[in-house]
Amino acid sequence: MTWTDEELVARSIGGDSDSFNELVLRWERPIYALAYRTIGREEDARDVCQETFLRAFRALPGFRGQAKFSSWLYRIALNLCRDWIRRERRAPIVQPPEDIDVMELAAAAEPSESIEDLVARKDLSRAVERAMALLPEEQRTAIVLKEYHGLTFQEIAELVGCPLSTVKTRLYQGLTVLRRELAKGEARNTKATL
Amino acid sequence: MTEPVCTYAGDRDEALITFLYDDGRAEPEAERALFAAHLRTCAVCRGELDTLRGVRAQLARWSPPEPKFAPLAPPNPPSVIPDSRAPWRVPVWAQAAAAVLVLGAAAGIANLDVHYDRAGLTIRTGWSRDARGGAAVAPPAAAADAAPWKADLAALERQMRSELRSVQASNASAAAPRAADADQIRRVRALIDDSEKRQQRELALRVAELMRDVNVQRQADLVRVDRALGLVENKVGVEVLKNRQQMNYVIRTSQRQ
Repeated sequence: MTWTDEELVARSIGGDSDSFNELVLRWERPIYALAYRTIGREEDARDVCQETFLRAFRALPGFRGQAKFSSWLYRIALNLCRDWIRRERRAPIVQPPEDIDVMELAAAAEPSESIEDLVARKDLSRAVERAMALLPEEQRTAIVLKEYHGLTFQEIAELVGCPLSTVKTRLYQGLTVLRRELAKGEARNTKATL
Repeated sequence: MTEPVCTYAGDRDEALITFLYDDGRAEPEAERALFAAHLRTCAVCRGELDTLRGVRAQLARWSPPEPKFAPLAPPNPPSVIPDSRAPWRVPVWAQAAAAVLVLGAAAGIANLDVHYDRAGLTIRTGWSRDARGGAAVAPPAAAADAAPWKADLAALERQMRSELRSVQASNASAAAPRAADADQIRRVRALIDDSEKRQQRELALRVAELMRDVNVQRQADLVRVDRALGLVENKVGVEVLKNRQQMNYVIRTSQRQ
């Protein structure tokens, strides 16, 4: 039987540690992905992910179900990311390796994918990562939550604590910057090839 | 020639984003229909919408590296070793409850009797207590017997019987822990076997991954070398062509002269 998040939360509050484990298994990847896309460092993203669940566990008795569990978790993770960015006093840095990361490449390879396609896909992924790193934190957060986590405008507005129209504006501005940066990257690649 | 200008009356950027993400809850149906009608006539908005869709398609290609979550949430089977970094596995209250339960069970097995009276605190353990108690309460019928040796014999028989019962009882109580120990050993062995198998599997997987990685890297290098060679060949070809054209031109010019 599959429990809902809210049922698992209730059971965890009742002392069932397996239920909290289930919640961790269910949400650790989305939270890690959110942290990685927000701060751009793999190890720190893992730390943020672990800290998110630790804080959630400690604060679980205080969770009254006023929001969805996932939204609550996202909020904790975003606050931690924000703390991280402030602490580091710098914009998120994405440092793609100069050459191909073999392990990453191997992990991402799909059986039907040719090596040329794979290299092209990894190049594009890196280009997106670089362009995202150039965005201001608010725009990046809005795009990450919308694009990769499928939150509604309303949910994003509640999470980051701003009006709905601001969320849309941030998305528009962020996408516009991304369009420009990705086009620049493509132009550079074309120039390098010629 | 003038560039086309968008004449949408509302907040165009917001409407564009709402339309792009198709978030129905964020906008009334009427406004959406209005913008859809506007899109049919506005090439600027149509163009921008297409571009933003392209950006979204590119964004979809960005995947974060595979996380390594082993210490955070291991899959089945659950570890028997408590992990202090993940306190939700066994909460403190559960650990305390388990300790009380174990103590209670141990006291039960040991047949612990705690007694407090005017003589003070008395703690007795063991299964022979009942038997001794039973021996102490002798039936009065023996006293009525005339021959003293018969009474002694009967007393001896009762004592032997009671000792025999107590030995049987203690054997029975000792058998349970022995069975529990054997069960425990079996479980530990099974866990060790599982662990060894898991390690062997992981090793095999790592080796396979390593071989695959080397292969992927080799192929990627080959592709790059191939591309670079192609580029060099193209450039050389172009240069040769230019040289040939120049030579032809020089030859033609010199022939004319």
